[in-house]
Amino acid sequence: MRQRSLIAITAALAAGALTLTACGSRGGDKGSDSGSGGTTVIIGVDAPLTGDLSALGLGIKNSVDLAAKTANKQQTVKGITFKVQAFDDQAQPSSGQQNAVKFVADKNVLGVVGPLNSSVSESMQKVFDDAKLVQVSPANTGPSLSQGPDWRTKKVRQYKSYFRTATTDAIQGPFAAQYVYNDAKKTKVFVIDDKKTYGAGLAGTFTDEFKKLGGKVVGTEHIDPDTKDFSAVATKVKKSGADVVYYGGEYPQAGPLSKQIKAAGAKIPLVGGDGINDADFVKLAGPDSTGDLATSVGAPVEELDSAKQFVADYKAGGYKDEYSAYGGYSYDSAWAIIEAVKKVVEDNDGKLPSDARAKVTEAMQNVSFDGVTGKVSFDEFGDATNKQLTVYRVENGAFAPVKSGTFTG
Amino acid sequence: MSGIGPLEPGEGTHAWDTPGPDTHPEGPLRTRPAHGPIARFHERHRRASLAALALILLLAGGSYLYATRRHTPPPAPSLPPYPSQVTDISYLDAVATPPRDAGTRSFSFAVLVGVRSGPPVTVTRIAQPYAGLSVTSEPRPPFRTKAGTAHNVAITMHIKECGKVPASAGLPFLDVTLRNARAIQVHSFILGPRYAQALSQALQVACGNDFR
Repeated sequence: MRQRSLIAITAALAAGALTLTACGSRGGDKGSDSGSGGTTVIIGVDAPLTGDLSALGLGIKNSVDLAAKTANKQQTVKGITFKVQAFDDQAQPSSGQQNAVKFVADKNVLGVVGPLNSSVSESMQKVFDDAKLVQVSPANTGPSLSQGPDWRTKKVRQYKSYFRTATTDAIQGPFAAQYVYNDAKKTKVFVIDDKKTYGAGLAGTFTDEFKKLGGKVVGTEHIDPDTKDFSAVATKVKKSGADVVYYGGEYPQAGPLSKQIKAAGAKIPLVGGDGINDADFVKLAGPDSTGDLATSVGAPVEELDSAKQFVADYKAGGYKDEYSAYGGYSYDSAWAIIEAVKKVVEDNDGKLPSDARAKVTEAMQNVSFDGVTGKVSFDEFGDATNKQLTVYRVENGAFAPVKSGTFTG
Repeated sequence: MSGIGPLEPGEGTHAWDTPGPDTHPEGPLRTRPAHGPIARFHERHRRASLAALALILLLAGGSYLYATRRHTPPPAPSLPPYPSQVTDISYLDAVATPPRDAGTRSFSFAVLVGVRSGPPVTVTRIAQPYAGLSVTSEPRPPFRTKAGTAHNVAITMHIKECGKVPASAGLPFLDVTLRNARAIQVHSFILGPRYAQALSQALQVACGNDFR
């Protein structure tokens, strides 16, 4: 009996030791992406997945994918499994509209994140609104998309299905002007844009505020975004005597433009908006881009603890492409759709109603949560209530934050 | 658990030190007689001593595995939020200019300073970006605001040179230096169209035709 007791104790201790060992090894939990079963809801993504702007578009797609996987893993909406369907709009309005039609045709699509470009969004909004399919853009900054063409004098909401998590150019342009005039002490600007909805609009809001502050516009030009030879414009900039260039457009053109302006002998900074705030701008513009400036929506990632979690999860997700400028906003856009779906399901005894799209669109107006980019909610126009902006400056081959601001009006 | 056999004899098994029916009691396992007190003790308490040995080995192995386990880093102490992420400053309305500044080219307005969460935030400086203006406030910086509270601050703008103020800035802002346990930050608070309108009106009244 004694011997058996000893053996039993040995067994118990052995089991205990093994248990302790097991308790000490927690690193291998990879979790599960499996959904919570039941109904499948598709979150659509429309963005440029190929072409010059694909660095931004792929960051949007991957970040939405991460949000869907997170919701499935956490079973955020019981009985609902989220899937992501992404279409490439190649930054072309016509492609975006075709994609919008495809999303509408799939009854499982209850929300779409995108697009990147304001001009593309213009072609999609009505298609979505007619189908009561909610759209949340992480990157559109053109004010007219939500506040109407006369937004400067009379704001009128255009579509009830349109929302965005990015701050508009009604704030971004003036914020840049204030920084350029007051902080950077530049008084003579040469304004260039690419004639597109985003670029021309942003250049316009910048110019208005710069002039109000007392600055002078010493020249204006439009470029053709399909070319990369800007030598004629660069020469005009040099001759104008400008001490700063403002460019409304995106980095594929802004990079070569900055390089060619400096090569023409005008050693002055180029300033742009969120469309140039990408690592590729610095690569294209070369080492002389040091001192170039970009405003971008939101606070710097390092100031947002919630963003750090997103960055870590994105890295752990194994995505090949960077999350880029709109990753956090894309995650939040997708999560807003997930929250709206959750509300609709909870209000309907745990099931999707037959008019789910309309209900999700309705619920989106009251969505509110702490997201990657801060508090996420929408105002009466569908615009983000969180209006933060940051000025970035090229230093040591990368954009670094220099000043942030919050719109509290 | 692979590699670990049954700890107690089960059905169809037997302890390895128990002679089997076809095993000679003095067979190959016992080639030499036991000598000395330790050997005799071992002989008498063979099963117990083997169990004790197994216990020691298991404990040593378990201790080794436990000591060399993959360490999960202790959770990082949660840092308080950056002050700019928890502080709100919003425009309230025009207010009377404090008596000490009356008669000068000044105008005043109130803002609400609130802190949403985290440790208290101290406003250490309030500035504005235009060369022709200077700013004072009541209370004067530094002043502290606790999380979940908000209080009014009266801002007074002093016009030093009309030629260096904007006639109609669309989105003027205050540059406010904030400090909490996490960081010191200069943050721009864009107070919105009501502030822009009030600023323009006040400057028009004070400077009139002096604008360029």
